[in-house]
Amino acid sequence: MSKSHHAEKATGIGDPQCFKGEAGPPKFKVGDKVRIKDLPDIFYTRCQMYTRGTPATVAEIVYESPAAEDEAWDNTEQVEWFYSLVFKQRDLWPEYPDAYTNDTVETELSERWLEPA
Amino acid sequence: MAEKHKPAPMVDEVSEFEILELAVRELAIEKGLFSADDHRRWSEYMETVGPLPAARLVAKAWLDPEFKKLAVSDGVKASLEVGIDWINDMPSNFGTPSDYCNLRVLEDTPKLKHVVVCTLCSCYPRPILGQSPEWYRTPNYRRRIVRWPRQVLAEFGLQLPEDVEVRVEDSNQKSRFIVLPMRPEGTDGWTEEQLTEIVTRDCLIGVAMPHPDRKADDMRPVHPAVNPVKHP
Repeated sequence: MSKSHHAEKATGIGDPQCFKGEAGPPKFKVGDKVRIKDLPDIFYTRCQMYTRGTPATVAEIVYESPAAEDEAWDNTEQVEWFYSLVFKQRDLWPEYPDAYTNDTVETELSERWLEPA
Repeated sequence: MAEKHKPAPMVDEVSEFEILELAVRELAIEKGLFSADDHRRWSEYMETVGPLPAARLVAKAWLDPEFKKLAVSDGVKASLEVGIDWINDMPSNFGTPSDYCNLRVLEDTPKLKHVVVCTLCSCYPRPILGQSPEWYRTPNYRRRIVRWPRQVLAEFGLQLPEDVEVRVEDSNQKSRFIVLPMRPEGTDGWTEEQLTEIVTRDCLIGVAMPHPDRKADDMRPVHPAVNPVKHP
């Protein structure tokens, strides 16, 4: 029985570590302002609806991996950079209380979801 | 006569997810992806994993600034020092218990408090924390913490001042997260053992802060029933 790409590629290395060096240079750098694209997601996504169309700041460039949207179907050719993004709560939820304007949400998305803001 | 002494039927609540898991598991066994024995060994292994290694990692980081730097920059490497090898541990050898291997340690500061959630499902750093608590997997927690974090934290008994930034970490991809909370006052001169004891699982998820008088294995209060059953 053939093993999944995880077992073939990641044994003894780790996932996402096993995709290191496959994504080319990252398009964004730490501190960049980006906006989350509202791409179609008929089948599978790990991009939360609440982030769509919202501005965010790149906090960290975390690792390279195929996007979950592809990997769910065992498509692993296109390896992308993943970014840790920080959102202001006020940008996500307009009714968020004024007293807590510093509050944030952090989450990770792959490059396909980001455009410069 | 025999009819009369039949025991009352057992009522077992089985959720749709449990039925789904059972169906997928049986199909996988039939298909030969893994054996029933593999499944049993895996389940037994998972039951032995708990939050203690992560508590020790935090205690070490409190005591050793160099180790703290390592923990924050490379959680997977730091885990090795508390006996957790994310890459090579059994049984999978590629991310223990089905998890991905990128551990990020989120450092709290006097002006920043982290709390972890997975709004999409229930991603959790199982190799180092064990199985997630039931509430962590509920839609209630997952929907509300990201939108009303202060209210939800208050329900856990954690009230934070206005000038502290509450950062909700929504674990949605291949990173897993634990919180490195602030070392509480009143713990000067404590050993690594003592410090490890006060870092509870909830502190590591971020819904509680460590306190010198509260240990992970403390007895929990037992409240009397409001309407106790009266036996004849």
